[in-house]
Amino acid sequence: MKLSAHYNKASIIITISVLFAGAVIYFFAINYIAKQQLDQNLIEEIDGVKAYIKLNQQLPKQVDFDEDLVLFTKTDQSSLQRTFFDTIYKNPKEKKQEAGRAVSCLISLKGNNYKTILIVSREDTEYLVQIIGFITLSLSIGLLLTLFLTNRYILNGLWKPFYKTLIELKSFNISDNKSLNLKNTNVDEFNELNATVQGMSKKVKDDFQNLKQFTENASHEMQTPLAVITSKLDTLIQDEKLNSGQYDQINDIYAATNKLSRLNQSLLLLVKIENNLIDDVELLKLDSLIEEKIKQFSELLTDKQIKLNATLVPKQISASKYLVDILLNNLFSNAIRHNINSGEITITLTGDKLIFQNNGIEMPLDQERVFERFIKSKRSEGTGLGLALVKNICNKYSWQINYYYNVSLHTFEIGFNFNSNIKPKSVSAEIEPTTQGFSVT
Amino acid sequence: MIKNQLKILIIEDEQGLRENITSYFNGDGNICESCSDLSGAIDKLSSYNYDCILLDIGLPDGEGFEILDFLKKKMKDEAVLIISARNSLDDKIKGLNIGADDYLTKPFHLAELKARVASVFRRKITNGNNVLIFNEIAIDLPGRVVAVNKVPVVLTRKEYDMLLYFIANKGKVISKNAIAEHMWGDEMDMHNNFDFIYTHIKNLRKKLLDARCADYIQSIYGIGYKFKA
Repeated sequence: MKLSAHYNKASIIITISVLFAGAVIYFFAINYIAKQQLDQNLIEEIDGVKAYIKLNQQLPKQVDFDEDLVLFTKTDQSSLQRTFFDTIYKNPKEKKQEAGRAVSCLISLKGNNYKTILIVSREDTEYLVQIIGFITLSLSIGLLLTLFLTNRYILNGLWKPFYKTLIELKSFNISDNKSLNLKNTNVDEFNELNATVQGMSKKVKDDFQNLKQFTENASHEMQTPLAVITSKLDTLIQDEKLNSGQYDQINDIYAATNKLSRLNQSLLLLVKIENNLIDDVELLKLDSLIEEKIKQFSELLTDKQIKLNATLVPKQISASKYLVDILLNNLFSNAIRHNINSGEITITLTGDKLIFQNNGIEMPLDQERVFERFIKSKRSEGTGLGLALVKNICNKYSWQINYYYNVSLHTFEIGFNFNSNIKPKSVSAEIEPTTQGFSVT
Repeated sequence: MIKNQLKILIIEDEQGLRENITSYFNGDGNICESCSDLSGAIDKLSSYNYDCILLDIGLPDGEGFEILDFLKKKMKDEAVLIISARNSLDDKIKGLNIGADDYLTKPFHLAELKARVASVFRRKITNGNNVLIFNEIAIDLPGRVVAVNKVPVVLTRKEYDMLLYFIANKGKVISKNAIAEHMWGDEMDMHNNFDFIYTHIKNLRKKLLDARCADYIQSIYGIGYKFKA
């Protein structure tokens, strides 16, 4: 629920309850005041009646009372407490039953005591109460409506800068160069929020930049020592007086150096992709590139007696040739390295997908972590960066990469949907898949 | 016939690397000189001519690109091969645009460096006579034709590349590692399984022997091969 909705809910509940309580109190107060007023009138009229009796020495006639009703009853009581009460009476003028207010008291005339009841109409006061009630109700409804609309529109308007900041934050990308575009508002709190967010994002970016710079520098600094080791080894093996045991040792050093240098280059490449330093986009024929790679890797396939099936349709993509080369190298290396002897690799290229499937260990890899850095099987001789590179390259071009394990086949699937760049002409001309069976045994 | 003895200037500030490159190139009758900084290099280039310059980009007193500017200004036509720790594409394009002939990223194998130097130098001289001769083997470079005692030998592209590579590094032991990287590129992860190289070398050797060529290719324990000089 939105903040304004929360606020609306709370404020409306509170307003309604306050208004209700207020209305109840108000009703009773008005009623009480109106009754007081009626009673006051009754007293004055009784006093008028008493004055009349005193002056005329006779009971007044009903006709003198207009709408009020007066009843005199002879009584033996010598005292009677003056009491006020509500009653229903017949209006002598309008000849109908009405709610009335009455007073009873004792009046004496010529030695006789008369219980006198004087009744006045309550109709007018009740009407007044109704009018007041109606006005109050309309005011309450108006107030509620105003409150609701105010909350809805003004409050939303007030929060607009906040939502703008939120949108900016959502589009925040740690690795791109543009900073957050946060405008100053006339609300201090939002300005403070913006300043804080701006400062934080700058710091995060700086830190990230430093980290990448560090990785790049560290990797570069390692290149020269690696070059020294390699050249020393190259020189060392020129000495033919070495025995085979020593050559074995040297071979191991070569292997370790090779791996180190590969690791280093992969790290550098990852940093470069993340820094968007590789932006030489060109139109590439993916199917031809894959065919080239199949040739390039044919020796490795032969060595492991792997059968390769490729189904490729012509497909063009816009990307860096360098990166696509690395992507394919890694997919191929991966499919070959983790394959079993006499296994199979199936490569399928359709209009919107590239699928690599290979045999391997009879167990699915961790779908969540397979693309993470340095996640590799214990048997793997690789750097653990190959699939991370693949993932990064796909991310760069907004391609979807997925891994799944299906009927003893490890499958890597790249979806180009988000950045397909097929020329309509070539699609219509060559939509039929051309199946090529590359089988190297 | 192509000149086999080259005069080379090595500009590299890392002493260990400089010494190894010098000794590797010197064994072959080449004349190698070296210096470790920009000013020393400019001094040498002002006084002498070289066939080839090996240039490190990150030097203590400046960027190696200045050497390229200097050569351009002085109208000198030395072949330049950049050796750099930086493999950024920018560097590569920048270097090649302002007059470098090739670019090699550290770390590299000395055999690769030597093959590259030979190749850069061959490309540089275009005096029409592009035949590389090694004893009874003659290689017509533009036509990619190999003949042994004037009898053509048909080689695959890989075998041809390998032969050139061996001749450029004749008399040196070349590790299988270096051969694999040269033939299949260093981006292809071979995970140190180089058995498949053997097939190619075996085929090349057999073709040369069949053409009555001397047996130059020699296997050195498990480590690699040597093309006997």
